[in-house]
Amino acid sequence: MIRVRALSKEFSVRDNGGGVLALSDIDFEVHDNEFVTIIGPSGCGKTTLLRIIAGLIPYDQGEVAIDGRVITGPGPERAVVFQNFALMPWADVLANITFGLEVRGTPLDECRDKAKELVKLVGLEGFEKRFPKELSGGMQQRVGLARALAVNPEILLMDEPFGALDEQTRRLLQEQLLRLWEGQRKTVVFVTHSMDEAVMLGDRVMLMTPRPGRVKEMIDVPLQRPRSPQVEKSGAFVEIKEYLWENLRAMQVGES
Amino acid sequence: MKKKNLPVDWGLRLAVLIVAVGLWELFLRSSQNFLLPRFSDMASGLFHLLFAEARFWQALYISNQALILGFAISVAVGIPLGLLAGRFRWMDRILNPYVGVLLTMPVAPLIPIVIIALGLGIAARVFIVVLFAFVFITVNTRAGVRSVEASLIEMAKSFGASEGQIWRRIVIPGAMPAIFAGMRIGLGRAITGMVMVELLLVASGLGRLLLEFSGRMQSDLVFATVLAVIIEALALLAAMQALEKRITRWAPDASIG
Repeated sequence: MIRVRALSKEFSVRDNGGGVLALSDIDFEVHDNEFVTIIGPSGCGKTTLLRIIAGLIPYDQGEVAIDGRVITGPGPERAVVFQNFALMPWADVLANITFGLEVRGTPLDECRDKAKELVKLVGLEGFEKRFPKELSGGMQQRVGLARALAVNPEILLMDEPFGALDEQTRRLLQEQLLRLWEGQRKTVVFVTHSMDEAVMLGDRVMLMTPRPGRVKEMIDVPLQRPRSPQVEKSGAFVEIKEYLWENLRAMQVGES
Repeated sequence: MKKKNLPVDWGLRLAVLIVAVGLWELFLRSSQNFLLPRFSDMASGLFHLLFAEARFWQALYISNQALILGFAISVAVGIPLGLLAGRFRWMDRILNPYVGVLLTMPVAPLIPIVIIALGLGIAARVFIVVLFAFVFITVNTRAGVRSVEASLIEMAKSFGASEGQIWRRIVIPGAMPAIFAGMRIGLGRAITGMVMVELLLVASGLGRLLLEFSGRMQSDLVFATVLAVIIEALALLAAMQALEKRITRWAPDASIG
């Protein structure tokens, strides 16, 4: 379980010595095997929040604890999927997938076996020896997802993972992620700026407000699992999406 | 993968050579210049050097001692300095002014001073070669490290990579194309340094041979010696490029050599 209590984060601004409050008094929990999506207008600090949970940047006040232990940095129970894929251009698909395993000292043949299994899972058979530049964006992010899954994390932190993809690819990957997750449930925190994506994937949607970033509301998504693409036509889906839009719209009116 | 048409490439290269040699001969015919050798003279001079002049090989050996030692030291000093300056801001701040000085400083006027300080032996020649070459390797290596995407380093950290693993797995592979570019430029500079120090004061190696030939007005042999140096340089660059291709197959083609 991820527990975030009274979390604040300030970024210092060089010129005047002052700071910008990126996150203020954030409080929420993510239960084991739960899929929580985070949505909010740009500047609400959702990516900052995810990076703090990942242990990549420090925070100022409050605490972030996983299974009761306050985090001090990255840990083996977490893995991150990045928006820009963050693949090593000098390594082929297999080597990219095994990166996390190798860093953690897994024996090489074990890495290979695990990577082959994941190549199959994300549907990249036949591309094992390709380099990232030879792959489409969607395939690159499937490598990013496979790399994160390879270390078998309890918690998957996803930072707008499909944000850089075109809509068709994005929808295919959403469906693939849904199937994967419904087959093997992990705790997932998924940052997005797409309302469809937030409702489609999440058990709960966390709505954030900007400047400073705060949690506005936690919204339950009472849609059945496993979810099919048809779920988008259901009343509940449309209702939550409209509710999100009303709120997001109100936040941005007067700003743009 | 882009296709390369080798026969066409080499045909065009040959055409450039033929045009250049033609212009050369034309210029000599019209200018009545007795000192400049014809291309054919130079070619036969080269033949003479390679097969009839024992001192050429000896001179080449002596010069290459300074070149190889100096270039090896340049790589051994230049790459680590560049890596540190690229990865650590504080190191960069300390080194920056000195790198600027070394980049812009004309090295040739320093040669007499170096020779006074280090004597006429190989040490002075090696030192000059290093002065010519290493800072270019440092600058390129630093730029290469800087070009490594911050998101890759963050990715490595997110999997719990140690600083050492980040260096080995991310920073050095990412900087490799730029390091090779720096070594190519450095090699060119090292060869310049090698010949210059021998020409200016230390009469040894190829420089001594060049001075002798020009003293005797044997301009065909002067040209032939220069040509030999160029051929060696091209061979070394080609070897380095082959190594680079093997190591950095992933990178876009950035060769300048």
